[in-house]
Amino acid sequence: MDDYQAGSLDPNIPLLLTLGVSAGSIHEAKLGAALKDQAILIRSELPALDSDQAHALLGYIEDHDASQLPANGRDTSRRYRFRVKTAERSFLLPPRRARLPDGVESPHLSATLHSPFSPLSPVSPLYPDGLMDAQWILKHQDLVPSVLLCFYDLVSDPTLATLCDNRLKTDLNNLRGLLSQSGYKTRLAVVLFSDQDSHSVDSVQERLEAIRRACAIDAKSLFLAPSGESPDELERMAENMLTTLYGVAIEYFRDLGRHSRKKKARGVVPQPTVSPTSGTSQTLSLAGWNVRYDFKSAMFAEYRLELGNALLSFEQAYENLLGPELLEAIPSWSPRWNEARFLADVIAVRCLRCLLWNGQHSAAARRWQSHRDRIAEFVDRRGRGISNYGWKAWEARWAIVMANLIERTAIPDFTPATMNLYLQPEKNVMGERLQPWELLHHTGYWYHLAAKHLSARRNLAHAMSEDDRRPPSSSPASHVANKAFTYDTYMCPDPHDEYPLNGAGGVDHSRMIVDCLKRARSEFLKRHQFRFAAELSLECAKELALVRDWKRVVELLRSLWRDMSFRSEGWLAIAEDLSWALRSAAAAVGDADLVIAIDWELLGQNFTRRTNWHYDITRSLEGIAPKFKPSVHIEHGELLPFVSPSFVFRDEEGKAGQSTRGQLAIKSNAQQGSAPVVLKSIEIEFSGSVGRVVLQHQAGAATEPRKHGSVALSAVSLTDAAKDGAISEVENLDESNRKLTLHGNANLTLLPGQTTVFGVDIPLREAGETRAVALKLGFESEAFDLQQSLYFGSGINSSNLWYISTSSTKRVARAIPLSVRVLPRPPKLKIKAPAWKDQYYNDEPIQLEFGIVNDEADGALAKLDVDLFGEDTPVFSIEVVGQGAGDALPSSTVVNDESKLRGVSLGTIESSKALTVRLNVPPIERSNRYDLTMRVTYHLSTAPGTPILQTALLQLNVVNPFEANYDLLPRVHPDPWPSMFDYDGVNGLSGGDDDGNDGSSGSGNAAHAASTTLTNMSHKGISQAWCLVTRYASFASEDLRVVDVDIRVQTARTVRCFHTKQLGVLPPADEDRGRGRLIRPRTIVEAAFDIDARKSTLDGRSPSTLDVSFVIKWTRCHPDTSSSEVVVNTTTLPVPRFTLFGTEPRVLASVSHIPPNPPSLNKDNSSTRTPQLAVLHLIIENASAHFLTFGVSMEPSDEFAFSGPKQTTLNLLPVSRRSVTYRLLPLPRPPPPTPTPTTPSTNKALPPTPATPGGGAGGTWIKPGLVVRDKYFQKVLRVIPTEGMKLDKDGGVLIWIPPDEEEGETRSGEKVEAAE
Amino acid sequence: MATAIPSIACLGVIGRNNNPLHVAIFPSYDPVTNSFAPVRTPLQFSLLLSSTLDVFELRARHNAATGVGLSGDFGLLHAVDERLAAYGFETNTGTKFVVLVDMRGRRIDGAIAAGLVDIKEKRLGAVAVGLREGEMKPVFKAMQTAYVKLLQNPFFDPDEHAPPAGHGGKKITSRKFADDMRRIGETWTPGVTNL
Repeated sequence: MDDYQAGSLDPNIPLLLTLGVSAGSIHEAKLGAALKDQAILIRSELPALDSDQAHALLGYIEDHDASQLPANGRDTSRRYRFRVKTAERSFLLPPRRARLPDGVESPHLSATLHSPFSPLSPVSPLYPDGLMDAQWILKHQDLVPSVLLCFYDLVSDPTLATLCDNRLKTDLNNLRGLLSQSGYKTRLAVVLFSDQDSHSVDSVQERLEAIRRACAIDAKSLFLAPSGESPDELERMAENMLTTLYGVAIEYFRDLGRHSRKKKARGVVPQPTVSPTSGTSQTLSLAGWNVRYDFKSAMFAEYRLELGNALLSFEQAYENLLGPELLEAIPSWSPRWNEARFLADVIAVRCLRCLLWNGQHSAAARRWQSHRDRIAEFVDRRGRGISNYGWKAWEARWAIVMANLIERTAIPDFTPATMNLYLQPEKNVMGERLQPWELLHHTGYWYHLAAKHLSARRNLAHAMSEDDRRPPSSSPASHVANKAFTYDTYMCPDPHDEYPLNGAGGVDHSRMIVDCLKRARSEFLKRHQFRFAAELSLECAKELALVRDWKRVVELLRSLWRDMSFRSEGWLAIAEDLSWALRSAAAAVGDADLVIAIDWELLGQNFTRRTNWHYDITRSLEGIAPKFKPSVHIEHGELLPFVSPSFVFRDEEGKAGQSTRGQLAIKSNAQQGSAPVVLKSIEIEFSGSVGRVVLQHQAGAATEPRKHGSVALSAVSLTDAAKDGAISEVENLDESNRKLTLHGNANLTLLPGQTTVFGVDIPLREAGETRAVALKLGFESEAFDLQQSLYFGSGINSSNLWYISTSSTKRVARAIPLSVRVLPRPPKLKIKAPAWKDQYYNDEPIQLEFGIVNDEADGALAKLDVDLFGEDTPVFSIEVVGQGAGDALPSSTVVNDESKLRGVSLGTIESSKALTVRLNVPPIERSNRYDLTMRVTYHLSTAPGTPILQTALLQLNVVNPFEANYDLLPRVHPDPWPSMFDYDGVNGLSGGDDDGNDGSSGSGNAAHAASTTLTNMSHKGISQAWCLVTRYASFASEDLRVVDVDIRVQTARTVRCFHTKQLGVLPPADEDRGRGRLIRPRTIVEAAFDIDARKSTLDGRSPSTLDVSFVIKWTRCHPDTSSSEVVVNTTTLPVPRFTLFGTEPRVLASVSHIPPNPPSLNKDNSSTRTPQLAVLHLIIENASAHFLTFGVSMEPSDEFAFSGPKQTTLNLLPVSRRSVTYRLLPLPRPPPPTPTPTTPSTNKALPPTPATPGGGAGGTWIKPGLVVRDKYFQKVLRVIPTEGMKLDKDGGVLIWIPPDEEEGETRSGEKVEAAE
Repeated sequence: MATAIPSIACLGVIGRNNNPLHVAIFPSYDPVTNSFAPVRTPLQFSLLLSSTLDVFELRARHNAATGVGLSGDFGLLHAVDERLAAYGFETNTGTKFVVLVDMRGRRIDGAIAAGLVDIKEKRLGAVAVGLREGEMKPVFKAMQTAYVKLLQNPFFDPDEHAPPAGHGGKKITSRKFADDMRRIGETWTPGVTNL
């Protein structure tokens, strides 16, 4: 836009000229020299104002200059638009009428003088047939104000007021006169600065009126600014004033527009002042005049912001201009041709501005295109063609003009924040077939377009022949003429200036292109079009490379190259282009790092091969001499490396302490035919316990790789660097931080297209996951170092091939072949429990012994953790045999059913040595099952960083060794009951010898008997005898030896109880094993105890309870330890509660046998031996407090004969007992087939004695029909059998009759004797 | 400046990772030499296709903000200059189709015979024929059909061409797909409704 003459394209804004205030910038009319001396001087005689108020107002007006406002119709907030100029005292106006040129004598006196800007005046450059030039446009924009605003003081001092007013009037009238003399219709406006404040302003109204009348000033054009007003008020006043003045200015331009329309309507060609005598002496045609008039009225409409009207007039002028009578008629060699083109451009630009102002963006784009196309067509047809640099220059300019217009319009939808790349078409063209370009794009596209045209211009300029480029002075005249017809030089230099032959000077095309590209780029960047911006950067860089501005190329491309999306997104052609561009610049600048990195990347065969390029990384720095040896580090992902690495572990799992095999395969995708790359080192990094593996290049490595096809396979043996020498420093490090670095040597030459495979054995140290993470390739040459980092696992490592040999591979079918799962080292330390038993028993202190055997090759420093888990876990303690036994043993803590002991130090166990650990568990009361976990954590002295774990899990069964059941059988207490009626006899009763009774309850030893007597004396209540029969069985899994059995009796306080153990409960001491009875598993043993109970008083009648517990003292048969003492364990079994002393009467039967031939009884039958007699005692106890009567009847039977009452009645006093005695003689009969000894276990009432051998062999049971009936209640009482008797099924009592031939044996007697 | 109508200059298929999958370039009519030649070099076409990705991203962001644009047709992406314009379409799997239209790629003679250009536009002469909104739809439809056919090939692994978590990807090598693209690019002219 700047290429066009000043002002020609500027938006039309009314000019406001202020007069009478001194200001910084003074308006200086830019008049040509010819016009300057004819200019009209407008001068005010009064001194310029210098008051603050005047300056403030002027400043406000100047601040609201509209010349830089966006040309955008949407901004309706502005009520006025002025271009503001300031003159202090005077200013010049261009002459209204041009003078006749000096040399020309007027042919006739009536010659009319015209404006110097008109083609009618010989002074004008347009004379005689020009159309229009920028001078005229400038005249209205810059020279002739539409409004002249004069600043004056209004003096309030009454003495001076009149004088001042008069002077003011004089000056104003003078100005008015000058203006009207000049012929311009500039409106005069006055602003008066009163020194009074606004309240007293009313008084000056008259004066104002006087001034106005005297100077014939319009009421609207006189303003008063009272003094002492606040800035706000001043502002308001200024706003009002400017708004009013704007109306005046519009009126001014309306007059002008009317005038030019009138002239057009006249339809005559005005005659020039002087007829042209030179040239073709052609004058401007009517069509030309119409163009002028249309243009003028369009311009004036533009001043008035009537842009619709302006557009119509412009279009009319444009059509006429390009019509057959004007542009078609102008010869292309004539300067008028270019002037017409210029006018066409100006009109087109103004049309575009009108369209943009009205928001018709698509129409604007279309208008832009149509102007370009029409001009192109004209130039092609009538001008010098469009395939020369001049046309391209214009095209570029035309694009830039559009960009500038869009910028000036400041379309709100185009702010970068909206991210609009182009505007939607306006409604009226929405449905049409639109060109995409007709949707108005943002300025970046326009600048880009301009840059393309500029570069085409440069190409065309460079294609010019040398002859054409010679300066005209040194070329033949004919050629100069020819040249003038070949090249379009409209608004651009001649060929010899465009591209001089000697190369000096000329047009700097590159600068223009770069300038455009940069402007475009900034627009694209603002709208986040980064890729497009990158493309422009690349173009820009190429342009700069042409002028060898390498430094800026590197600046421009370096960051782009680092993180361009083209590389990561796979637009390799672009990346390649950019890389080469940057490389050449970097090489020229001497940026070695960049050159190396680019060369490294371009080695890949993803990029197209450039012919005659060496593709040898070692030669990368040829021609570059860096100060220092460059060292380049390339991170993963920064570049597209030409190598693709992969790493595969052969096995999915490995064990610590062992080693696993892995393969590193590096495929070189370098360009075919490129030089082999010899790496210096390859470093593989692993996560987990494996540290790094470093392969160093060694040309003549021990194992030369086997090669076949495109695969080279080599096995590399690795050595631990730490072991070789650096042990001391490594050991200083923390154990856990110590990572292994393994070294190996191999041939690290990478041939293009070849896959180089290195097989390595990697020792695994610790359990966990180990994964190959990264790879570092080190390259070193004399000129530079390079290091490339690569990660495994991203997309490039998709091949999980295991190279069995160079020609055969297998696919490793694992999800992540990069990693190996390292299992913990298998522990060789063993935990043994040699004396472990299946069962342990309650109430027994348990000692568990473990042997910990070290089968490792080295000594192990071990720690022991023990967990015991179960219900009611006991607290245990641990003893390490042979270790400081004196100290308190460590004992466990119990938390939530878990008894734990942690970190018992076992010290160092030497290789193949054993250690014994004893676990002491206190006796456990209840049977239970526990889980015992022994965990030995140890590490070998050779590998202190590697903890190894050995665990033993055992189950500890603790069971109750015995179970028992119990029967409490009633017996007849031998002692008589105390009588209620014999107070004194109570003592005497107990003193009697009771041997004759077979109640059997007597106390065992003398001391006991004594105590019985004593207690009997203190306890005077009724007594009862019972027999507690227990049958206990061993539930142990092995033989146990019962040392003793006993019961513990607990009764109520009112009852005194004694018990004795019956004989035969325990056998006498064994000869070999000591005392006690050996009980095999699952056998039942009986034990009987006699219980003698007596109430303390006779009065106590309530029943009382008997709590008994059964105590078994036992030992194990085979003591575990060799220790001499045998631990006797005591197991206490609870016995269910029994009830004694019921209040109901009860009938007890007891029997005693009279052996045969007792001399005293053998009176009546002397001949033969007397038969055996049984004496049956029937004892009825009445423990109640009632008098009771019982009937007793004995039925005769054929089994026996009896003596005694067959039927009798017994009366029992309260708390008394009576007995009835029968003597029974069993009748000899063949033994009945009755199941003689109904097995003791089923026969509850059977005392243990009949079970003795021979007891049931010949004897019989007889059943006396004995009935005891409660007379009062008519209730039959059950007869309760005691010793030697039993109940049959019907509830009757059976009496055991021992066999005849047997020697009399009385159990009662035995019992008494056996009692200890 | 011969009167010309639009033709397809280039068809681009771009993968989910913004990686080029397929690029087909078509010659345009050059009135100067009266022959057919591509208007740009392959590299320039690459740059043009890549620059449309900016627009795809802008539109995607804009669509996400305003909640519109459910159909994948992005319409005109931008016009690079008064001759070349890029139209875009994005499938719901992120594959993008780009059509670069050369607004003056064909001479008008054939088009008049086809009755595509009315008298009025012919009178406009130098003004080239524009495009209506949606005239690219058949092209995208045909491209998508071809792409779906490609996807139906069990040996075609889409993840290989656009790794789900990664960059780049392989190009499409299917000859059938390339033939389809070629057919679409060569047969389309403004007003064609079925390809």
